[in-house]
Amino acid sequence: MFEKLSRSAGLRARRHYVQAMFRFMGHALEAISQVDRKVMDDARLLPNGLIFQMMVLPSGPSLVLEHTGEGRLRYLGPNYDGEVDLSIRFKHMAHAFLVLSFQEKTTEAFANDRMVVDGDISLAVRMTRVLDRMESIILPRLIASRAVKEYPDDLGLLQKVPGAIGVYRRVAFSMLRDLRKEALPI
Amino acid sequence: MSRYYEFFCPVKVIAGHAALEHLPYELTAIESTRPMIVTDQGVRAAGLLDPVISACQESEVTIAAIYDEVPPDSSTTIVRDIANLYRQQQCDALIAIGGGSSIDTAKAVNILVSEGGDDIAAYSGAGVLTRPLRPFFVIPTTAGTGSEVTSVAVIADRERSVKLPFTSSFLLPNAAIIDPRMTLTLPPHITAATAMDALTHATEAYTCLSKNPLSDAYATAAVKKIGQSLMKVMDNPGDEQGRLDLAEASTMAGIAFSNSMVGLVHALGHATGALTHLPHGLCMSLYLPYVLEYNLEEIREPLSELLLFLEGPEVWTATPASRRAEATISAIRHLRDELHHHCELPRTLRETGKVQEGQLDQIARQALDDGSIIYNPREASLKDIQEILKKAWG
Ligand SMILES: [Fe+2]
Repeated sequence: MFEKLSRSAGLRARRHYVQAMFRFMGHALEAISQVDRKVMDDARLLPNGLIFQMMVLPSGPSLVLEHTGEGRLRYLGPNYDGEVDLSIRFKHMAHAFLVLSFQEKTTEAFANDRMVVDGDISLAVRMTRVLDRMESIILPRLIASRAVKEYPDDLGLLQKVPGAIGVYRRVAFSMLRDLRKEALPI
Repeated sequence: MSRYYEFFCPVKVIAGHAALEHLPYELTAIESTRPMIVTDQGVRAAGLLDPVISACQESEVTIAAIYDEVPPDSSTTIVRDIANLYRQQQCDALIAIGGGSSIDTAKAVNILVSEGGDDIAAYSGAGVLTRPLRPFFVIPTTAGTGSEVTSVAVIADRERSVKLPFTSSFLLPNAAIIDPRMTLTLPPHITAATAMDALTHATEAYTCLSKNPLSDAYATAAVKKIGQSLMKVMDNPGDEQGRLDLAEASTMAGIAFSNSMVGLVHALGHATGALTHLPHGLCMSLYLPYVLEYNLEEIREPLSELLLFLEGPEVWTATPASRRAEATISAIRHLRDELHHHCELPRTLRETGKVQEGQLDQIARQALDDGSIIYNPREASLKDIQEILKKAWG
């Protein structure tokens, strides 16, 4: 009985974490796409007005962004339920959690069939690169190098990152610290 | 954390001497009485339809319709025409005879004749199909693409000038029939290029991110057969056993890569094929050594292991462990040079005479957006890809 209770509490915590992480990533991507050249270069070739969604099957939570042009991304909030052009869907909450708690790289999740893409694959490749870049900028190097395929060599001095991004880094740190308290292997 | 993987291959393989003669039994077993053949002019001209048709006739199975004009780059209009013919003739099964294009076309036709309608584009993408399609058999006439065991098809939509991908396990045929008679007359340069495609499927399956124990088994077996038989067949094109080995290798490599995907060699090959119309197998042969060199430090261990299968136990034991990965790359380069010697298969992009140096930048940019790049063990940047292309240029 108690076991059952704590299990469902654990599952609830996991869902909350994924929800919070999606929201955080949405804001962070929006901020980074205003300043980071590499993200802008990759995002620029997305069609203008493209709506990108990353979601957990069967019914969320999800992260939805719009490409507003010139490589800039706009976070559309946690409750967007309109049309999407490109969607990357996790097959299960457990898989989303593995990726969003940086225990499995996004590319690894693709390789492990954890996600299905609905839409143009080449655009999904681009968005994966954008996500990787955001993670490299935001996360502590040790964790980022586990989250992305190859840690970029132009990020040696993170002090150079503009002020707004610093805020996101601090939020990421505190989210990770809370996760660690729950004794997760990150 | 232990690895997670998925492996799926429900295709019955009917292979070897007198394999074609099993087709009528397979058709009767599913109560098909009006099968339709989808093929191309090359297959017909090479007389490869005759043994299939006569095998059926002898067993009182009548072929109800034959479409033999599939072009090398098939399109949505052709798919629609064939589906109409199938319906007119009230066919009840499809038999694809040919290479990648005929097989992909028949897969798409099967969607239309099973699901209805005229608009194949409506079924494009992944996971659109939700139930099994009509009975479908594949008889490959090249030994390379592995399309007989892959759950994808690509069809060009000329009006909108896009390539439509279709992905579903329901596209897989009921059976693949591999008979050495079907590849016996394949011209040397096509034999060489398609074998290099199969070798690339196996090598990328074995060294890229989605590798798993089951796909590894198929990949290594494929590499071994190619290593043992490709040059034998180049020396003696009528070598029936060698031909069968290459056809089996192609199917095994197909099973391997459809379960563990391919990487940067294919990303480059897809981009090059789209922009310059260079044959796919040739692209594989041109890029494979350079991409392996680029990935080397990430794939040293699996690449070292491949030496055993490609060159055999003697070479493997004689090579110091620390040099085996490099030795695998040298062996692949050597194979490429031997093939050039035998049938003038180009060794560099320049030698093809069909690619301009000015196109390399566009190839690099397009490769960067190719789906296969996700599975490559190294995160290739535009600059990395440009450098690989510079080397492959020659
Ligand atoms: Fe291929």
